[in-house]
Amino acid sequence: MNPVAIPVLHSAVAIMTPLLLAAMGGLFTELSGMLNIALEGLMLMGAFASIVFTHFTGNMVVGIALGVLASMLLAAILGTVTLHLKSNVFITALAANLFASGLTVVLSFKLFGNKGVVVFDGIASLPRLDIPVLAKIPVFGDIFIGHNIFVYMSWVLLALCAWVLYRTPFGFRLRATGIHEQAMVSLGMRPSRYRFIAFLVSGFTCALGGAMLTLNLGAFVPNITSGKGWIALVVIFLGQKKPIGLLFAALVFGFADAFSNYAQGAWNVPADFILAIPYVFTLVAMVLFSIYTSRKNRVE
Amino acid sequence: MEHAVEMRGIVKIYPETGLRANDGVDLTLNKGQILCLAGENGAGKTTLMKVLYGLEKPDAGTISVMGNPVSITSPLQANRLGIGMVHQHFMLVDDFTVAQNVTLGKEPLKGRFSYDLKGAADAVDAVIRKHRFSIDATKRVGSLTVGQKQQVEIVKMLYRDVDILILDEPTAVLTEQEIESLFITLRALAEHGTSLILITHKLHEITTISDRVAIMRQGAMVGDFPTDSVDGKQISRLMMGQSVSLVVDRLPYTPVQHPVLRFDNVSVLKRNQQRPLLNGVSFTARSGEILGFAGVGGNGLGVLEAVLGGFLPISSGAIVHKDEDISRLDSHALRKRGLAYVPADRLQVGSALQAAVSENLIVDARNEFSRHGVMQRKKIEQHAQSLLKTYSVKGSPSMPIGTLSGGNIQKVILAREITQYQDYIVFSEPTWGLDIASSRFVYERMVQLRDEGAAVLLISSNLDEILAVSDRVIVMYRGTIVAVLESEELRHVTKEDMGAYMLGLRQQEAPHG
Repeated sequence: MNPVAIPVLHSAVAIMTPLLLAAMGGLFTELSGMLNIALEGLMLMGAFASIVFTHFTGNMVVGIALGVLASMLLAAILGTVTLHLKSNVFITALAANLFASGLTVVLSFKLFGNKGVVVFDGIASLPRLDIPVLAKIPVFGDIFIGHNIFVYMSWVLLALCAWVLYRTPFGFRLRATGIHEQAMVSLGMRPSRYRFIAFLVSGFTCALGGAMLTLNLGAFVPNITSGKGWIALVVIFLGQKKPIGLLFAALVFGFADAFSNYAQGAWNVPADFILAIPYVFTLVAMVLFSIYTSRKNRVE
Repeated sequence: MEHAVEMRGIVKIYPETGLRANDGVDLTLNKGQILCLAGENGAGKTTLMKVLYGLEKPDAGTISVMGNPVSITSPLQANRLGIGMVHQHFMLVDDFTVAQNVTLGKEPLKGRFSYDLKGAADAVDAVIRKHRFSIDATKRVGSLTVGQKQQVEIVKMLYRDVDILILDEPTAVLTEQEIESLFITLRALAEHGTSLILITHKLHEITTISDRVAIMRQGAMVGDFPTDSVDGKQISRLMMGQSVSLVVDRLPYTPVQHPVLRFDNVSVLKRNQQRPLLNGVSFTARSGEILGFAGVGGNGLGVLEAVLGGFLPISSGAIVHKDEDISRLDSHALRKRGLAYVPADRLQVGSALQAAVSENLIVDARNEFSRHGVMQRKKIEQHAQSLLKTYSVKGSPSMPIGTLSGGNIQKVILAREITQYQDYIVFSEPTWGLDIASSRFVYERMVQLRDEGAAVLLISSNLDEILAVSDRVIVMYRGTIVAVLESEELRHVTKEDMGAYMLGLRQQEAPHG
């Protein structure tokens, strides 16, 4: 294989992970019948809280756990306001995004006296795993080895998600809620309960996706998620709202990002253009996808 | 005989409207009995059953099930007490299989967390076999027919071991054959000891299926008899407060008319579809007649409505109005030419629910009510007032139309369309979901229009309605015209004959309307 392709693909697998994690949680809210645009804010919350708590406790596991908790708390507020106080999910989720973006900067200034990049020197880099079995995969083996622990965890979580959604009563009820809410009501079940849990799940996985961004960097940058939560939404639709689809859709975007990173060093093109590649890619992918689905619907 | 259910003094007041939907209602159901709960729309039947099924909380009254006083707060608890309900609108998840739908909320487990999909299919299959249903537990519900979906709903309740089954207007969406097989199922269930309550307002169904009939009117129980001790007239009188018939007074049909609207071999074929939605349809609608279009849902009535309304372009043929080809015109252009049209979907297509009654009344005639681009409120208000009075609509011009009852919304739409009609008017399912009094009102208006010389096109899947008001009838099956019945034939045609045409069992040679 082309010697350039391996490192680009290797970094694509790493870059896709936060997208995949956020999309997984978003899949739960999406299937329960709600467009959750707060993925971006939930990721940012998790990203900030994880590294700050790791810094203060000196323990990465505790830090991530508290970061996850912070993001789930925001998701719980979002769920309560949307489901019990019946406000419009689009507006509340938008508010959650703005809140997370503002809160992280304010806290960063309060705690570290810095509204810009905060570097945490004392934090160890993320543990990397070498799983020998993966190395034996022909041609692609090198792409899957030597990643940090979040990458492998995301694959395990994806399998778990698929199992929960398609092999447990909870998964069936969650999907039934999204397809026919009244059917659930008529059987004495409360749709809002399943939607609330879906919000919590999205808080959980988005926090992990965010945590990977900051802990990998050893620093917090304002709005470090830079639209990844939004791209995760695209991943959900591009992945046809199926777990395995998410994997491929996320890989496509991971590749676009990795390619743009590579191109910055290799090509003599203004960096702004190259940095736009993933976003242009998102746009093109969505257009192609909508053409594809409308064709398919017409055939049916 | 032991009572399966005993409801005493049930009161239910809807707080939003202050409406006393149930006002001290008593109802008893004996074991193994089929009880029909009859009454007009809005009589309080569905509310009473929702109270029994735990979907509505009563403001007063007691319920006992199998002799034990109970308070039912949720459908789950109703199920536990052995009460099940099949709703008028299906509560089914199309993407799931029959077994997954039936077991939803009561899923068999494999281990502690895992859903036993195989076990669910087997358990549901056992219920299906036991009661001799004809559905396949592993089929996707989305691919089933309406009759089969209803079977799934019944199986869903039987799987929950209910011995008291409530069915809300179970025959509304079924064909004659499907109704027959449903009734066979219900009788078999009753023989096995299940007690059944059917909500209905169709007289012949009450006399065919029930052991007892309870009649409600305006939130109160007005009668309760063994079915064989009353006749249809008595039931109808109690439901209505007076005896009425479906026969509408009108002038005899006079065949001296001129053609208004002509379909010439019209076909509608969607891309990538084998079978045309409309296939070579030809007919002429003439002035001074009501031309009925009968058929079972999915056989082209809806497509015909869309074509007449200008929503759906035709693929071949021609539509001619007053010697001009109007095949290519869209809704807007058709409206300008004087299309008047009462759509089947009065909530989504026929009205803007959030807008005021007065605004709904002038949507087609905005220019007449504006001066220099500014709407003249007073003129609009007066226009609305006078129409509401003429059409005896209960409501005021400034109310959002969505707050009116179905019958009153339909009257507003009628008022608007009749005001602007020129020479032809299309009615699609005009009395769907309306009670007898409102339906009569619609029929009388249709007959009045016809006597004034309008060409009235009535598209309806309600056979009684078609036979009661049409001067000529066209029967559609799979997008083609299979029969045309002239006025003499209509006088002695039976519902069985019509059913045979509608189900494609019989066909006229070269029918031409």
